[in-house]
Amino acid sequence: MRSKFVPILVLLLVAAMVLPSLPAQARQDKVEITLWHMEEPTNRVERIQTLIDEFNAAHPEIEVKQEPQNWGEIYTKAPAAIAAGNAPELLFAIPDFTPILKDLGALQPVEDFVAELDAEHPFYPATVEQYTYDDHTWAVPLYNMSQNLWYRKSVLEAAGVEVPTTWDEWLAAAEALTTDAQYGVGLPAAKNLYTDQVMYDLMIGAGASEIYNDDGTLRFNNPETVEAYDMYNQLLQYSPVDSPNWAWGEAEACFANRTCAMVIQFTVITTYDTQAEGDAEDLGVAPIPYKEGVEDPGTIAYANAVMLLTDDPAKKEAAETFISWLLQPENYGRFLNMEPGLFLPVTEDGATADSFWEDPLVVKYQDQVQTMIENSTSGRLFGFTSGNTFPSIASISAQNLLAQTLQLVAIDGQSPADAVAEGQSLMESAIED
Amino acid sequence: MASRFRHNLLLGLSIFVLMVLVLAPFYWIFSSSIKLPQEIISATPTFVPHSFTTEHYDKLLGESSFPTYMRNSIVVAVGTMAITVVLSTLAAYGLYRLRFPGRITLFRVILITYAFPGVLLLVPMYQMMSKLKLVDSLTALVIVNVTLSAPFAVWMLQAFFRTIPRELEEAAALDGASRLGIIVRIMLPLAAPGVASIAIFAFITSWTEYIFSSILIISEANRTLPVGLAGIIGQYQIDWGLLLAGATATTLPVLILFSLVGRNFVEGLTAGAVK
Repeated sequence: MRSKFVPILVLLLVAAMVLPSLPAQARQDKVEITLWHMEEPTNRVERIQTLIDEFNAAHPEIEVKQEPQNWGEIYTKAPAAIAAGNAPELLFAIPDFTPILKDLGALQPVEDFVAELDAEHPFYPATVEQYTYDDHTWAVPLYNMSQNLWYRKSVLEAAGVEVPTTWDEWLAAAEALTTDAQYGVGLPAAKNLYTDQVMYDLMIGAGASEIYNDDGTLRFNNPETVEAYDMYNQLLQYSPVDSPNWAWGEAEACFANRTCAMVIQFTVITTYDTQAEGDAEDLGVAPIPYKEGVEDPGTIAYANAVMLLTDDPAKKEAAETFISWLLQPENYGRFLNMEPGLFLPVTEDGATADSFWEDPLVVKYQDQVQTMIENSTSGRLFGFTSGNTFPSIASISAQNLLAQTLQLVAIDGQSPADAVAEGQSLMESAIED
Repeated sequence: MASRFRHNLLLGLSIFVLMVLVLAPFYWIFSSSIKLPQEIISATPTFVPHSFTTEHYDKLLGESSFPTYMRNSIVVAVGTMAITVVLSTLAAYGLYRLRFPGRITLFRVILITYAFPGVLLLVPMYQMMSKLKLVDSLTALVIVNVTLSAPFAVWMLQAFFRTIPRELEEAAALDGASRLGIIVRIMLPLAAPGVASIAIFAFITSWTEYIFSSILIISEANRTLPVGLAGIIGQYQIDWGLLLAGATATTLPVLILFSLVGRNFVEGLTAGAVK
C-alpha cells in the first residue's frame, strides 16, 4: 500500500510547487504601460492587441500591454489595486466609474491633454462634458454608445404600423404588434443597469432628463418622471413575461428569434447578422419615441473614456502618446470596430474615417450605423447633463435605483407617483451614505 | 408481492425524477452547444437538436483563450488538491492522536473558520498577497483555495481516523514503526476513501472558485475557467453557442476525476456520515 500512496503524494506536491507560474519578468529598457479595459470578448481583445502590436512596433521606446478585466469586479478590483500600488497606468471608464477613482485621489487631470487632442480631432462636446467637473477633466473620451429603437421593417409593414415617433404611436404599435406568437416590444424590468438605461430613455422622452437641480439637490420626484414610469408600465404589458429578469443578451435574443417586434438596445447588428436573417434591408433603427410636445427628446449615451492613473512623467508621456496614436483616423476606426455597430466615434474626424466605414459589417449596415451616430448626438446620461455634473450619481447608479423604482411599479404594484416619491427617498439615502 | 412492487416502483420513480433533475441541465447545455446559433435562440426550444455544428467548439478552442484558462484551472486545482491532502492528513491525524491542552477548542476553531464567509477575507487576502508579490500568480490562488478547503478536509478526515482501531497503531509501534510510518503505512490506506473524498472536495472547491480568482488575477494569461468564461460572455452581447461550449468543456475534467476516484468518494461520504 505504501508504494501506492507515497509516490502519488510526492508527485502531486511537486506539481503543486512547480507548476504555478510567476508573473513575467519586467523588461527594463522600455517605458511599460499597462492598460486595463473591460472589453473582454475575444474579438475585442484581439483587435486591441493588433493595435497595441502596431503601436509597440512603431514606438520601440514604449511597451504597451493590455489586461482585460470584468465590469462585474472592476469597481472592487481597481480600488484594491490602487491601494496596493498595483494600479495600471491606463484604465477604461464610464462616467459613473470615474468619480469613485477620483475620490481615491488616483486620477490625473487631463484637460490640457484633451485640449491638445481636441485641436487635432474635435471631440463631440457632450462626450467631454461627462468627465468634466470640479475644475478638471478626468478622462479622455474614446468611444460612444447610445440606445436606439430596433425593429424589422417587414414586421411593421405586415401589421400596418408606422415606425413610432411619439409615445401614443409607440403604445398603439406595441399593441398592434402583439400576437399569439409575438410580443409588441421587449423591455427589461430587472434591477440592473440595462433597466436603468431604458428607464432613463423614457425619462428623457418625458422631459425628465435632469435628476438634479442646479444646486445639487435631487429633482427626481417630479410629474414628468412619474409620466415616464407610467408609460413604461403600460408598455410592459406588451413585453414577454420573463422580461423582469432580462439583461441585454436576453432582449437581443428575443429580437433575433422574432419573439419581440421591437427592442431598445445599443445595437443588435452583430447578433442579427450572425444569429438571425442578416438582411440589412429589413433591419430598422430609429430614435426612441418621446412624449408629444417634449422639445428636446433624445437617448441615453455613454461616452466611454480612458483614465490616466500615473503621475510618473515618463509613463504619463508614453500613455499620452498611445492615446494620441489611437485617435488618429487611420487607427481609430479599427479600434471602434473591435465590435462593429456597437461603438461609435467621439471625434468628428473619427466619424468620417475610412478605417471606420470600411469594416465589412459597417459597410453592410451602413444606413443603420449612420442613424445610430445621428441618434447619439442627442445622447445624454443621468447625472451628467446640462453641464451640471454631480459625482454623487455614482451612488445612485451603483444601486440601480432607477430600475428599483420601476420594480416598485411593475412588480410591487405601487402607483407611479408613490414609487417615484419612494425612489427619491432611496436616492437621498444612497447619497448620504 | 404487490406491496414490494409498489415500493420498488416508488424507488424507481424517485431515481428517475432525481436523474431528470440532475442530468437535464447538463443535457440541455451539451445538446445546445452543438446546435446552430439560430436554433439555440429559437423561440421554440428543441429538446433533440435539429442541427449539428462544432463551430462553437472550434471557436472556443481556436479563437478564445479557453485552453489557457483550462490549463491554469488544472494547475491550481491539482496544486490545491495535493497540498490540501498532505496538510489535512497530517493535521487531522495530529488532532486525533496527539493529546495537548486546547485540542478540542482548536478542532472547533478550525471548523468555525470553514463557516466563515470567504468573501470577508477578500480585502485582507489581497493586501497579504500584494505584500508577498503574489498578486496575479497562480500560487496565490493555490494558497487561497487551500485556506478555503483545508478546514473541512481536516474535520472530515479526523472522523475517518476515529473509525480505525487504535490496536492497529499499537501493533505497528511494537513492530518498530515510526509515527510517520504509521500514518503512511497504516492510517492512510485504511482511510483511503476519506482521502479521496477530500481530494475531490479540494479539487472542486478550487475548480469553481470565482471571487478570489477574479480579484487576485489580473492578466489574461493567468485566468482560471470561471473568470475566463465570465469574460467570454461579454456585457452587452452574448455568444450563446460559445458560452454553452465553454460550460460543457469546463465540466469534463471534473467528470474525468470522478470517473477515476468516484467510487472512493462515495464510500468516503458514506463512511464519514455513518461511522
